[in-house]
Amino acid sequence: MFKKNIYRKIILYALIFLFAFPLLLLLVWAFSGRWPWPNLIAESFSLEGWRYFIDPANGAVESLATSVIIGVAVTFITLLISIPAGKAMGLYDFPGKGAVKILVLAPLIVPPLAVTMGIHINFMLLGLADKFIGVILVHLIPTLPYSIRIMTHTFEGLGDKFEAQARVLGAGPLQRFIHITLPLISPGLFSAGILVFIISFSQYLLTFLIGGGRIITFTMLLFPLVNSGDRMLAAVYSLVFIAAALIFTLLMERVLVNPAEKRDHFYI
Amino acid sequence: MKKIITALIITLLLLSLPAAAAEVLDKSWEEIVNEAEGETVNFYMFGGDRRINNWVDTFVADNLKEEYNIHVHRVPMGPDDYLNKLLGEKQIGRQQGSIDLLWINGENFKVARENELLFGSFTEKLPNFNKYIDQNAEGVTHDFGYPTEGYEAPYGKAQFSFVYDSAKTEAPATFAELTAWIKDNPGKFTYAALPDFTGSAFVRHVIYNTCGGYQKFYEMQEEEFVKAIQPAVDYLKEIEPYLWREGESYPATQAQLDNLYADGEVWMTMGYHPTKAAGEIEKGNFPASSRSFVIEEGTISNTHFLAVPFNAPQPEAALVAANFLLSFEAQYNKMIPANWGDFTVLDFDKLSEQERRKFENIDLGEATVPLAELEAHRVPEIPAKWVPMIEEVWSAEVAR
Amino acid sequence: MFKFRFNKWYPYLLLSPALIVLFLLFLGGVILGLSQSLGYFPVLGLEEPTFKYYLEVWSSTEFLNSLVFSLFISFTSAILTTIIGVFFAYQLLKIKNKNRIINFLYKLPIIVPHIIASLMVFLILTQSGILSRFAYHLGLIEEIAEFPRLVFDKNGFGIIAAYLWKQIPFVVLMVYTVLKQINGSFEAAAKNLGASNSQVFREIYLPLTAPSIGSAFIIIFAFSLGSFEIPYLLGPTYPQTLSVLAYKKYISLDLTQRPYTMVIATSLTMITVILIMIYRKILSLISRYHL
Repeated sequence: MFKKNIYRKIILYALIFLFAFPLLLLLVWAFSGRWPWPNLIAESFSLEGWRYFIDPANGAVESLATSVIIGVAVTFITLLISIPAGKAMGLYDFPGKGAVKILVLAPLIVPPLAVTMGIHINFMLLGLADKFIGVILVHLIPTLPYSIRIMTHTFEGLGDKFEAQARVLGAGPLQRFIHITLPLISPGLFSAGILVFIISFSQYLLTFLIGGGRIITFTMLLFPLVNSGDRMLAAVYSLVFIAAALIFTLLMERVLVNPAEKRDHFYI
Repeated sequence: MKKIITALIITLLLLSLPAAAAEVLDKSWEEIVNEAEGETVNFYMFGGDRRINNWVDTFVADNLKEEYNIHVHRVPMGPDDYLNKLLGEKQIGRQQGSIDLLWINGENFKVARENELLFGSFTEKLPNFNKYIDQNAEGVTHDFGYPTEGYEAPYGKAQFSFVYDSAKTEAPATFAELTAWIKDNPGKFTYAALPDFTGSAFVRHVIYNTCGGYQKFYEMQEEEFVKAIQPAVDYLKEIEPYLWREGESYPATQAQLDNLYADGEVWMTMGYHPTKAAGEIEKGNFPASSRSFVIEEGTISNTHFLAVPFNAPQPEAALVAANFLLSFEAQYNKMIPANWGDFTVLDFDKLSEQERRKFENIDLGEATVPLAELEAHRVPEIPAKWVPMIEEVWSAEVAR
Repeated sequence: MFKFRFNKWYPYLLLSPALIVLFLLFLGGVILGLSQSLGYFPVLGLEEPTFKYYLEVWSSTEFLNSLVFSLFISFTSAILTTIIGVFFAYQLLKIKNKNRIINFLYKLPIIVPHIIASLMVFLILTQSGILSRFAYHLGLIEEIAEFPRLVFDKNGFGIIAAYLWKQIPFVVLMVYTVLKQINGSFEAAAKNLGASNSQVFREIYLPLTAPSIGSAFIIIFAFSLGSFEIPYLLGPTYPQTLSVLAYKKYISLDLTQRPYTMVIATSLTMITVILIMIYRKILSLISRYHL
């Protein structure tokens, strides 16, 4: 029995190593100068990438801010839409529910690339392309299904008794929402919020097509660096990206949620 | 969110005054400079080269800010993407676009002209164009054999050169020797997959040297072309087994090829600007023993340009920026290898004695082919219309 | 009377913002793409619906090769991801004292975007990558060229590796959440009756988690089929995946090519619509389970 546990641990740690090792490698590359094959250690170390990143002239910090602004706006709008939708899907039965369910889940399966290409020229016609609002709207496509799904599960778990009770007690709809519904759904909101933010924060192609270069998010700077193989600078930008996403997650966790109630909802 | 909406409304209001090309070009230069003040120029250009990005973000942005109070917004978007965007905007009749200045040349310029994506013939408005540029030079009046007619202003000059590691091998002197070198060193040579700009230029060298020169391509009919370049296709297939990964895969971009070279995976790389090796050594990417060479038969040289799209929101600012990029300071600063190393388009005969000397004293570095040798081995580009056809043939015949 | 009507329409009222967005953006995009692929594209002056673009694209070898390549990559990565993910989730369940580092680390790939996953695969697996350097120092290879081609290769190895890295944690989370909820007394009872560990896994855990494993598989499959960044950054020059092919055609400088692009994009959608049907089947299976 003891032996078995050891063996299990080894497998587990090996797998975890596989997940962690690439991140360590990023860390080393971010500080390396010339590093030719077959050296295991770089010939020289440098802070050039970090200097380049910090230099305001290169716009990296600015685009990070753009990404965060868009991410927060998308999160806010998506949650605003998903709370009532999740309530409807989680608490009520109504004709056409099956069709709505499919429509809600379909964007998980239909490639956003295909949808965006179809809609692009109409965004141009409507004057939504090249603008913040257009990018935010197009980010709703990949984020809504996840967030509606999570909110549906949340409401399903709660049932509607709590609200009926409050109604009996004579609370108005707004008070009911703020004092009863909101605290109860906050764990679901937290999961959905983080997920939506991260999906929006990670978008590249949708932003590139609809933003038309006028809206420069962080991934738009990162992509050409990876594509052109600038390993050192790409590693620097990647670490910054991961750190920013982590900080946002931890911040949300601290501010919003009682960790005991946290649920595991994540995406690919 | 409120802030964003407010900002959007303000931008919309500001942008709702499209300026027709003729109107702008009728203005005097002073008026243009005055109206450009405080505006932002959206400069769309390839964004994969850290050094060039940095030059635009610092030297160009700082000087334009200081001298003209113009803000430079560099957008890392290459010609394929921005032309596609402009085509879409043209199609739906959007008169108020989002691009002010383009870095462009060759077949992209031709596409832009033929689809009427450009602003107008503006170069003679630029004081520095009139002052410094030889307006009759072939490299100014024509771009890949296609007449420029003032729709684009020259920006820099480049000449193709090969890069090799002198610690590992010697430089071939002719095309035949290069072929022999490729076969003698299997797996140590490759070129970037088309439509990469540099990879495409390499294939044109092959065409020049296997299909009997470049002259005949100026007057050729389209039907003849594919047949005419068949020897080049055969050649590329013939060397394929000797390439990196036996040609099963090509690096997707020139930058990836440069990485392979930096890692010692291949022993040769190439570049469409002659100071590339010097710059990369200085950045610490290439081994210090890297050197450049050109072949006896000559390497292709061309000019790259600046253009303004038909629906530029701030055409005045774009013109002022273009004029600044043609100034002596900008051209001189750009040619220093540590900054960019891009050759100047200014006519040395029109420069003052002092300015000319400054140019001549730029240290191009040990790794660069001397200027005189470069000039002695220079061949022009073929007409732009062939480039997409070459790409098509290449992906159909060589890539798969 | 009023109350009755209010109740009847209430769910639709709650759903209306979501439905408006989904109809306009999502369905709008799908339908526009479909009509453009059928040659109805008034902005380009194309107004005669036709199947010719479909016939042309579907009979081109370029498209067919891309289709095969895409399906191969998506199937392989989805199958491997699912197997490894389920295995990992099961091990995670069995381990007694979980530490926080484990919990943190295996979730990390979730916040790392595809672009960065590609970069990491590139740093590790290229011929000049870290694995190749280790191989050299271990004396396995003497020259860089001896290291196998794992990135930009025609088998899509690098692409699959990136998908695995990114998607395994997703499966682990989905499956682990369900596993946790399975009553431990089932296992105890089975063990009392003399069932082996592998029997317990096969007879109890696997069937109970099958629905969520199935839906994880479908989502992963569809996601890798439509995803663009990883195959664009790590794929070979030829063949390209359908998503990359669609993008390359999309940015073509000849707008009359647009219907062909939309055929490719719509074909991607069609393949995934078939997947939705399978997904529905699985959903109905799930609900039957709970009944």
